[in-house]
Amino acid sequence: MKEGFWKAFVVGVVGMALFLGCGGVILAETTTVDVEQALQALPLSQRERILESFKVGLVQGQLLPEESLRLVTRLTAVEGNPVEKEAILLTLAFALTEGLPGKSLVDKTLEGLSRRAPLVQIGQQVSIRARLLVEVRDLLYSKGIFVAAEGQVASSVLLPARFDLLIIHIADALGEYLEGGGSPLDGHLLKEAVQLRLSKLEEVVIPVEDVELVLARITAGDLSRVLQKVLD
Amino acid sequence: MRGDNLEETLTDILRHEATVGAPRLEGLEERIVAELDGRLPKWGLVKMLKHLIAPTRGARLGQLAVIGATAVVFLFVGTFLVGRAPFLGGGSDKRVSMSAVAESGNSVLFLMPAPGAQSVTVVGNFNNWEATPLCDDDGDGIWTASIPLSPGRYEYAFVVDGRWWGQDPLADEYVRSFGDYSSVRYVGRAGDGA
Repeated sequence: MKEGFWKAFVVGVVGMALFLGCGGVILAETTTVDVEQALQALPLSQRERILESFKVGLVQGQLLPEESLRLVTRLTAVEGNPVEKEAILLTLAFALTEGLPGKSLVDKTLEGLSRRAPLVQIGQQVSIRARLLVEVRDLLYSKGIFVAAEGQVASSVLLPARFDLLIIHIADALGEYLEGGGSPLDGHLLKEAVQLRLSKLEEVVIPVEDVELVLARITAGDLSRVLQKVLD
Repeated sequence: MRGDNLEETLTDILRHEATVGAPRLEGLEERIVAELDGRLPKWGLVKMLKHLIAPTRGARLGQLAVIGATAVVFLFVGTFLVGRAPFLGGGSDKRVSMSAVAESGNSVLFLMPAPGAQSVTVVGNFNNWEATPLCDDDGDGIWTASIPLSPGRYEYAFVVDGRWWGQDPLADEYVRSFGDYSSVRYVGRAGDGA
């Protein structure tokens, strides 16, 4: 009887541990299915396009499932015109299909929602940031700074994560410069803003050699042209 | 003399045994394994499960009750913790986002003097722009929160009684965003942020 009790106890504890372990993993993990379900709550005319680009972003690691779920959930919760909400999602979808990192766009949207900014204004800001990402990426390409293919090693060929960090922070510095009322014609101020941002992050977030590479190749005029293109 | 004979005899016997016995050792391991295999009980899946589960009906019911109760408790606690419990009126992912930030980084002190305020929170890109409350336990009007942040650049603002407060005196810089200010801190550099 006593032996039976202990056997039951041990099996019970082991069963419990297994259940907790498996259950915890399943519950904690956000999947594309969750994102898809969350998107159902929004009336969208281009649902499939948005979902497909989200999947591309998730596969390429340019967007985390929990980030996309958070964005969709927050957009659903806020009152406003569904068309304006969809415009934000389409901007993000565009960036993801371009292979650009989506995190900064999600972050900008969440900030706008937290500030209770009008959806139209959030959409405009997110759209400017997306165009900045595209233009900055193209600028880096034009200066011979590329994303490394598998196994490729060269000083101006960076791993995707490092390349994305550069795009995000340069675009972000330019975006803040614009939002702060700066003129796109003041190239030296733009260069200063980018230089300040990258130098504050070098070693800590961005490798020193990447910062040096960018600052050596990008001129004030380049940055001015980027902003003018974005504003055109 | 006698000892020498004895030693020789023993050596001869051992040599003889080794010569004669060596062939018998061939395949010994396989024979032992086969013998043991024949003696071990053959356990089917059902029999194994029967042995694992408690022997008596009462014990089995007790065991199932323990597992079942734990499962129910875990489901509720688990769904609540990950903020995915719409049926509980949840859905906020603040807990998830805060745990996402807490990856062994520097603990950054957020401090806001707000005497007489009812609530002070901090929102920023480290908590997905969702409110993290500051505390004023001693009631001196200085509200604080210590938040672990990994190295990087963080934008944030305080919200005092629902009012946005974007210019923290302790910030490294300020940026304008959506027509208002946000503070910025750099974490991880010597003398900055943390």
